[in-house]
Amino acid sequence: MNSSDMEVTINNNGDKTNVTIDGRIDNVTVEAFQQSMNTLIEGNQQDIEIDCSALSYTSSQGLRIFLILQKSVTKRGGKLVLSNMNAQVKEVFDITGFSNIIKIV
Amino acid sequence: MKKRFNPIKDKTSEIIEYLMSSPDIPDDEALQFKLRLSIEEAVENVVRYAYDGGIGWLEADIHFDEDSLLLTIELRDAGVPFNPLEREDPDVNLSVEDRDIGGLGIFLCKNLMDSIEYHYENGNNVLTMTKKV
Repeated sequence: MNSSDMEVTINNNGDKTNVTIDGRIDNVTVEAFQQSMNTLIEGNQQDIEIDCSALSYTSSQGLRIFLILQKSVTKRGGKLVLSNMNAQVKEVFDITGFSNIIKIV
Repeated sequence: MKKRFNPIKDKTSEIIEYLMSSPDIPDDEALQFKLRLSIEEAVENVVRYAYDGGIGWLEADIHFDEDSLLLTIELRDAGVPFNPLEREDPDVNLSVEDRDIGGLGIFLCKNLMDSIEYHYENGNNVLTMTKKV
């Protein structure tokens, strides 16, 4: 995988939606990431878990999209969880206070 | 090492890779993550906002001082005079409903680097970031 490749997989399993992000969210991939997330931002999924174990990097542009998604899920009364984040990406969420508004396990 | 990029439209990645290729950056994954993210945020700020349509130049400079062990990254452009450090920091304690979507980039630079300074000289915006390595 090139340094600026990124892939999102979305699986709707009954009531639960499982998502994986593989790669980097940066100035190159952010548009593709936004498009993938639009499905969830504009959708009606109530229970979303995003596995971040293969998410190696995110810029502020990626954070912005996570915030838009959380706002949308909160508004519809759903649940969003980000899981298995690596230590460096977690630090970015901590510094910006995003760890307080998005559930990270 | 120093290089001028002109024009800078769509050159964010090229400028990041140029600075990250410096032999003065230690082989330390966590440190490289912080440097790369700070560089990306600072460069994107110039590429997106300094010039109308990205038609203009950016000079990227990275150097290391062996006495102070400081790695210094300097970005210079001749775009609209703009001090990104004047922007108010986001309130990280707000609820999800109240959190604003913007203003995170330079805030990350401030937190990931040891120092960040701005000055305007000879018609240029100059942003200087340092990190002890």
